[in-house]
Amino acid sequence: MSPATLEGYLVVGAVLFALGMVGFLTRRNMIVMFLSVEMMLQGVAINAVAFAKFRGELGGQVLVLFILAVAACEAAVALALVLMLYKRKKTLDVSVWQELREPDQAPIEDEDTLPPAPRPESFEHLTPAGAEPAKKQPQEVSHV
Amino acid sequence: MFELSLWMIPLLPLLGSVVIAAAGRRWFADACHWPCIAGAVGACVFALIAFVGVTTLDDPIAVGKDTPWISAGNFVANFSLRADGLTAVMLVMVTFIGALIAIYSSAYMKGDPGYPRFFAAVSLFLFFMVGLVLANNFILLYACWEGVGLCSYLLIGFWFAKPSAAAAARKAFLVTRLGDIGLLIGILILWHNFGHSLEYDVVFANVKTQFDAGTLDPDVLFWACVCLFIGAAGKSAQFPLHVWLPDAMEGPSPVSALIHAATMVTAGVYLVARCTPLFALEPNAQLLVASIGGFTALLAALIALTQTDLKRVLAYSTLSQLGYMFLALGCGVVVPDHKLAAFAVTAAIFHLFTHAFFKALLFLAAGSVMHAMGDTCDMRAFSGLRRVLPITHWTFLCGALALAGFPLLSGFWSKDEILAAVIEASEAGHHSPAGIIYGVLALSAIFTAGLTAFYTFRAYFKTFWGDEKFPPEAGHHPHDAPPVMAWPLRILAVGALGVGLVIGPLTPWFANILEYRWIRPQYVHLAPTEPHPMNIGLMLVSTVVGLAGIGIAYWMYVKQPSLADAFAKRAGESYDLSRNKFYFDEIYELIVVKPMSIIAQVCRIVDAYLIDGLVDLVGHLPGFLGYLVRPVQNGLVQFYALLMALGLAGFLLSILLQGK
Repeated sequence: MSPATLEGYLVVGAVLFALGMVGFLTRRNMIVMFLSVEMMLQGVAINAVAFAKFRGELGGQVLVLFILAVAACEAAVALALVLMLYKRKKTLDVSVWQELREPDQAPIEDEDTLPPAPRPESFEHLTPAGAEPAKKQPQEVSHV
Repeated sequence: MFELSLWMIPLLPLLGSVVIAAAGRRWFADACHWPCIAGAVGACVFALIAFVGVTTLDDPIAVGKDTPWISAGNFVANFSLRADGLTAVMLVMVTFIGALIAIYSSAYMKGDPGYPRFFAAVSLFLFFMVGLVLANNFILLYACWEGVGLCSYLLIGFWFAKPSAAAAARKAFLVTRLGDIGLLIGILILWHNFGHSLEYDVVFANVKTQFDAGTLDPDVLFWACVCLFIGAAGKSAQFPLHVWLPDAMEGPSPVSALIHAATMVTAGVYLVARCTPLFALEPNAQLLVASIGGFTALLAALIALTQTDLKRVLAYSTLSQLGYMFLALGCGVVVPDHKLAAFAVTAAIFHLFTHAFFKALLFLAAGSVMHAMGDTCDMRAFSGLRRVLPITHWTFLCGALALAGFPLLSGFWSKDEILAAVIEASEAGHHSPAGIIYGVLALSAIFTAGLTAFYTFRAYFKTFWGDEKFPPEAGHHPHDAPPVMAWPLRILAVGALGVGLVIGPLTPWFANILEYRWIRPQYVHLAPTEPHPMNIGLMLVSTVVGLAGIGIAYWMYVKQPSLADAFAKRAGESYDLSRNKFYFDEIYELIVVKPMSIIAQVCRIVDAYLIDGLVDLVGHLPGFLGYLVRPVQNGLVQFYALLMALGLAGFLLSILLQGK
């Protein structure tokens, strides 16, 4: 078995990066998009350690340590954001947020329709003593 | 002690004003007169202390000589105050009259929604006015000069919802501003030519040194004096800038009394008197001052003959009396040894002093008439008020007699000194053109004295004599002045009767203060060499003229009231001319206001369509570009990411291609 070459590592890194990018551009699920971003990051990290190993200096490895630390922070923030976005719309589809476009632009419609939105969960409340129980209105969820 | 009092005099009214303005409206809206009265009375007490200081110390009291206020490069203006004889006299007069009028106003303005605003402005006015006379350099004087102009504007337009009052305030502000530009130019000429300093002493000493050395350029001094006089003419409403003062009567009556009769309008007289050392070296400027003063005196007296509004008669009479003061100021130096200068200035300031008493009294009495008559002061609407308004009647009579120059009352003495000064000027310059002009001015001044007596008593008889008649606004029972208004009237009436006798020529007390506490210590070359004798013959003439004026008024308006109308018909055109104020407002409208408003219209069109159009175009351009690229922002995250990826790819591609 021939020894590992720099090209091999770089090819693996490039493949990872390209897969990540394609994933990010094509998927609409926010968590999957986030995973794709992480993949792109790891492609870059592999490039960096490969150069560090083959050129005999530690700069690339240090850079990768930084990338890991930053990725951890980023993951915390991004997942928190995704969670909040999910709470608003009860869906992970990123295209429902296209209402943040410029006000006078027409929305871009999907060719294939989305699955129907799940009904919002409603939990039973214990009726307060004495008063007539209020009728619970189902919450409207808008889908683009 | 004396130094402290000098600081306190401006400080107390300022404090009163600030207290009223900051807290008055919310916490003590009905008691807002107290800070103002306290400030004015306190200032008056300290003014008397300063006066004692001036008359007992050898040198003028000065404070703040090393307190820099503005400094830029080699220009330094100090915040320095100084009290000499002239300032002390002005201070006592301003604060005393101001305190009385503040007390009077507390009753007169009662119930007005702007009560706190009124007293804040009056107090602020007193601050600026005492600052003006206390200033020790031209720049501080100029600042206070603008300050009193501002207060005048605020108070003329006190009832700003009334269109005529707002217009009068604007007119007063703009016309006096025209004069202020002259004053500023004059100050700059002095600064540029006489030692790059604005301290009075330095400027005057430099002028004198240059004059003695023969290096003085007469043109420079002449134009400096003329520019200063333009400022004085604007503030003191002299021809041709006199048009604002009669309209200023739109303000409340106490304001007319304080600002537009007794104090602010005399600031011009004060300025010229303060600059006597300059004017004394420039006979041509003096001749100009005297001519303008004499002409204004005559013109205003002629207009006052036919006015039907009580306050307007008094306003024109103020113009006329200010004209007298300038006439006297212009008489200093036809003779090279300046021996008349001190006498002429004393006459002018003496008239200023007595005039403040009787004119403030007349305006306050007119205010009392308006108070009773439901804010009407058209003399055609009421008559025969002497029984219903006894206090007002008697005090008005005292003021009218003093103004008419009735023998032994204050106006008699001061007007007489002015006439004496003019006659001496004409005698001293005999056979020269200047002497002839002074002669003409003297005759016109004596004639004006007769007119003064006539129009004053015309107003008096029309208001207080004849059949009892009230306007409908007065209600059923017109009431006389309440005590708070009556006492200032009484005090001023006593002043109008007696002040001339007590401090006038009989006891040369007033002349001594000005001479020994101002002129002799600082400008010894202007001091007279021998005491000035009284001119008995002139006194007889002016007595006869004054009594004749009163007599004719009595005959025309009491004995045979039909005579006045018949006379007016006979006079025809000249009656209309006087009644329409010689059409000055119309002429100014035509030659100044109309062209200006046309220019303003042109500017407006250029601004609205040309300049605004260009600016709008510049604003629209980025908007248009934004419109073009706006579709990019469609809200799809993938689309943004794709653009970024493509952009990056394009960027890398261009680097690769260039690298080849």
